[in-house]
Amino acid sequence: MLTGLSTRLLQHLIAQNSWACPLLQPHAGKCVAFKLGFFSRSLTILEDGSLAIAGESHVADASVSLTPSLALRLLSGDEAAKRQVVISGDTQLAAELAKVLAAMRWDFEDDASKLVGDVAAHKIGQTLRGIAATGKETGSNLAAMLSEYWQEEMPLIAKKRQVEAFNSDVDTLRADLARFEKKFAKLQQQLNEHAAAKGSQA
Amino acid sequence: MSNEQSTHFGFKTVAEGEKAKKVGEVFHSVASKYDLMNDVMSAGLHRTWKRFAVEISGVKAGDTVLDIAGGSGDLSKLFAQKVGASGRVILTDINASMLSVGRDRMLDAGLNVPTLQCDAEKLPFPDGHFDCVIVAFGLRNMTHKDQALAEMQRVLKVGGRLLVLEFSKVWQPLSKLYDAYSFKLLPIMGKLFAKDADSYQYLAESIRMHPDQETLKKMMEEAGLAKVDYYNLAAGVVALHKGYKI
Repeated sequence: MLTGLSTRLLQHLIAQNSWACPLLQPHAGKCVAFKLGFFSRSLTILEDGSLAIAGESHVADASVSLTPSLALRLLSGDEAAKRQVVISGDTQLAAELAKVLAAMRWDFEDDASKLVGDVAAHKIGQTLRGIAATGKETGSNLAAMLSEYWQEEMPLIAKKRQVEAFNSDVDTLRADLARFEKKFAKLQQQLNEHAAAKGSQA
Repeated sequence: MSNEQSTHFGFKTVAEGEKAKKVGEVFHSVASKYDLMNDVMSAGLHRTWKRFAVEISGVKAGDTVLDIAGGSGDLSKLFAQKVGASGRVILTDINASMLSVGRDRMLDAGLNVPTLQCDAEKLPFPDGHFDCVIVAFGLRNMTHKDQALAEMQRVLKVGGRLLVLEFSKVWQPLSKLYDAYSFKLLPIMGKLFAKDADSYQYLAESIRMHPDQETLKKMMEEAGLAKVDYYNLAAGVVALHKGYKI
């Protein structure tokens, strides 16, 4: 039941994002597994360039694995997180599908317009976008407030300046240690040479 | 009757030559009420299963599709809408009564779908002709399933796909409930709606004799199909198998 419903939703999304079909069509018949923590779902590319949930006995041609924390970083737009996604198998196929899925957008207003008409759908869309923008702004304000509190009032998180200073100290210590090791090795060598010269004199 | 020459007809064992005749009698008897009974028996789910099969087929405008054992033409109608004017769907069935119901429906719907009475074990089409071949609720009635599958593979183009929508093995915890429904309720419904309890008794029996999901997958692979995958629908009451000719 869920497979049918998910497939229908995927095909609806593809129909709204018809630019994706020519990109996926060359990979028709192939299957990509997406693993997010313990959750795993495989998608298969159909001959018309649309997508469906893969069947019970599919063999994935590629797999894309990411941890839940990485998924959150990706959602927040962290570019560095993209490099940590583990792709195996047919990497070109997996990268292409992941790129298409990331770029696909649900045209909510188009769907709502069939139920409530164009004007009402646009108004609903506008309201929802407003709510989402306010939610995002409130979220980032809250995050900024908490991080300031934990940095200034109750220091649980280190400030960027402090982290940089710490990193710089570690680098200096590492360089000093390396110099000391070299000096120590040189001294030891001199001692050995001195002992050897004494032994030969005796 | 030697073992090589016998086959099953529901739970009965009959001579191979007799099976097609007996199946023909069953479908001749239920043809006029076939869709009504399907709706009653599956609570309308058979339409969802068929629509799902069309979605999974990946058929696009301009494709050629062969609907085997298409009977009343439900699938042909859906496929005809998908392939459009530049494509072609051919509706076939071995049973003239079922096929005439399908042909009339296509004409009434204004669809240009040629109908052809033929045996799926000896398809009258050249090699590599179709982008997609589908058989829905028909394979279990065929005497030589392996031969039919090989024929379907033969008429597919390279890259074409075969879809088999068929009753299958239900999820184990539901099997007792499903058995009670099939052997107690189904014949009663057959008697009430189609005035034909025996045909619906055969339906229940033939479902139990049909290969399960994994066995059918293996049979399709033996027929030369690759990348065979299947979907369990309604907890395995029905399974949709899809395989490619490569």
